[in-house]
Amino acid sequence: MSRTSRALGVAALALAAGLAGAAMAQSGSIVFTSWGGTTQDAQKKSWAVPFTKETGITVKQDGPTDYGKLKAMVESGNVSWDVVDVEADFAAAAAKDGLIEPIDFSIVKRGEIDPRFVTDHAVGSFYYSFVLGFNPASLKGKTPKSWADVFDTTAFPGKRTFYKWSAPGVLEIALLADGVPADKLYPLDLDRAFKKLDSIKKDIVWWGTGAQSQQLLASGEAPIGQFWNGRIFALQQSGEKVDLSWEQNLTAADMLVVPKGAKNKEAAMKFIAEATSPEGQASFATESGYAPVNVKSAALMPKDVAANLPDKHTASQINLDMGYWAAHRDEIGKRWYAWQAE
Amino acid sequence: MTVTDVPIATPSPVLAAARRRGRGLAPVLPALALIVVVFVIPVLALLLRSVLEPEPGLQNYAAFFASTTYLKVLGNTFLVAGTVTVATVLLGFPVAWFLAIAPSFWSRLLFAIVILSMWTNLLARTYAWMVLLQRTGIINRTLMEIGLISEPLPLINNLVGVTIGMTYIMLPFMILPLHATIRSIDPAIFQAASLCGASRFQAFTRVMLPLTASGIAAGALMVFVMSLGYFITPALLGGTSNMMLAELIAQLVQSLLDWGLAGAAALVLLVITLAIYMVQLRFFGFGQARG
Repeated sequence: MSRTSRALGVAALALAAGLAGAAMAQSGSIVFTSWGGTTQDAQKKSWAVPFTKETGITVKQDGPTDYGKLKAMVESGNVSWDVVDVEADFAAAAAKDGLIEPIDFSIVKRGEIDPRFVTDHAVGSFYYSFVLGFNPASLKGKTPKSWADVFDTTAFPGKRTFYKWSAPGVLEIALLADGVPADKLYPLDLDRAFKKLDSIKKDIVWWGTGAQSQQLLASGEAPIGQFWNGRIFALQQSGEKVDLSWEQNLTAADMLVVPKGAKNKEAAMKFIAEATSPEGQASFATESGYAPVNVKSAALMPKDVAANLPDKHTASQINLDMGYWAAHRDEIGKRWYAWQAE
Repeated sequence: MTVTDVPIATPSPVLAAARRRGRGLAPVLPALALIVVVFVIPVLALLLRSVLEPEPGLQNYAAFFASTTYLKVLGNTFLVAGTVTVATVLLGFPVAWFLAIAPSFWSRLLFAIVILSMWTNLLARTYAWMVLLQRTGIINRTLMEIGLISEPLPLINNLVGVTIGMTYIMLPFMILPLHATIRSIDPAIFQAASLCGASRFQAFTRVMLPLTASGIAAGALMVFVMSLGYFITPALLGGTSNMMLAELIAQLVQSLLDWGLAGAAALVLLVITLAIYMVQLRFFGFGQARG
């Protein structure tokens, strides 16, 4: 045996031992990936900590969610994420493309979940509203009410901020501001939506992450815009003087999915069961200001918190149509990014 | 006098002999293997996708060049990289000159500042620029309080922001090669020039510039090529309407999951970069190391 081949043999043994060690360690842990910031902190506190206490399975936090990474993992067969928090339109598209595992409903209790927020391949993580957020100090006392006000640069001068990525929300807001009735939104009139957005394009600052949206609003850099309600809630909790309007709030859910080929599938399903349980959802909603997807959660929450959740503002609430988005995600995305770069 | 006449460093006979025998290759192999495994193979895989997805053919390249958006992004990329390169030459030259001639205390101090700024975390530096440049940032607030302006200047989310941020980040990459070149020039040459009756301007244009041309070219190449593929700073300080190619590629990979088109865009960027490198090699040589 030459020196080289002996060295190779040793290396192979070491590698095998390492792999075995990794496999053993993994049976007792999962990796949960979400969007970072105040949202993931709340998920960790409300879901991961109790889950580890009950099952002994440790939960490693990773993030932020990156659809490109998820696809790369699944294609290469080297999946290091077990549970991922994704947007609902992506969940629908990913199920179609075979990127995610079907949910095991012998572990997750489908009957307790609001039927709007559960599919064969994904269970709601939380449900949120896009709301009109504003910074009263920077608007000199004027109070915006509706999405039309966000497009009114005379009454409300300054920059306005919207979600940067192609996703349900901004196009709907533009159409609502342009006077399209809520029940006539879909299928989206893209020409009309982009034309409306063109009217304020030079005044738009895009936010790519929730933390960025909070910074823009709190600093007054963009005193008005579209926000996730939980991010406004978190700002208010930390004492910032920001406010919001619930008029025509647009609801959608984040979904929990398991990437195809995840190494700890069963533990992942157990984690999802914990996260979507009445207690897990109630605790997360109390922390974050987002609404629970579990219909039994509201009863478990403090009254004053429950009163501020998106599910208490249903009068003018509009559900974003994920079915429509899943079918048109690619086509709208191409046009969206081309328009942004114009 | 042309550039190639200047002996910057005399090639050592020992090195030259080693080069003829092809020695010294073995120690290079680990680094080479690393580059091949973690860089060359993945890049090739992405490039392959550009001609294989969604079906074999050149449709991704056709789509790239048919789209006015993508061509505009390509144009922006060149505009930013070019502007930043010119700005770093103009700002970096005096600094490199000062570093070479200043008393050692001052040159060491300045050198430390240049190097330290390069070692500070890139993201932290870019966020610092956001704090400075935004509408409610320090610069705008100060100017408004003095009364110089009544509306905040648009310094961020546009080309101005990207150029300022990237010029600052790229400056050391211009200063360091320039400094090396300037330091190797014998100061007596300038005395000789003035003794021969050259004005200060002539001494600069006819002696200084030709002597430092290789340093400027090396720095400019480094800055230009690095700027072409830059991502973080344009993403944070720029706006969507002056997006650069790296951002477009990230968008295609992460959000649209269109890896074929992303591969095509990446190859376009790679080919352009290599072409620029070739031009540089042709005119300025591979440093002075060809011997």
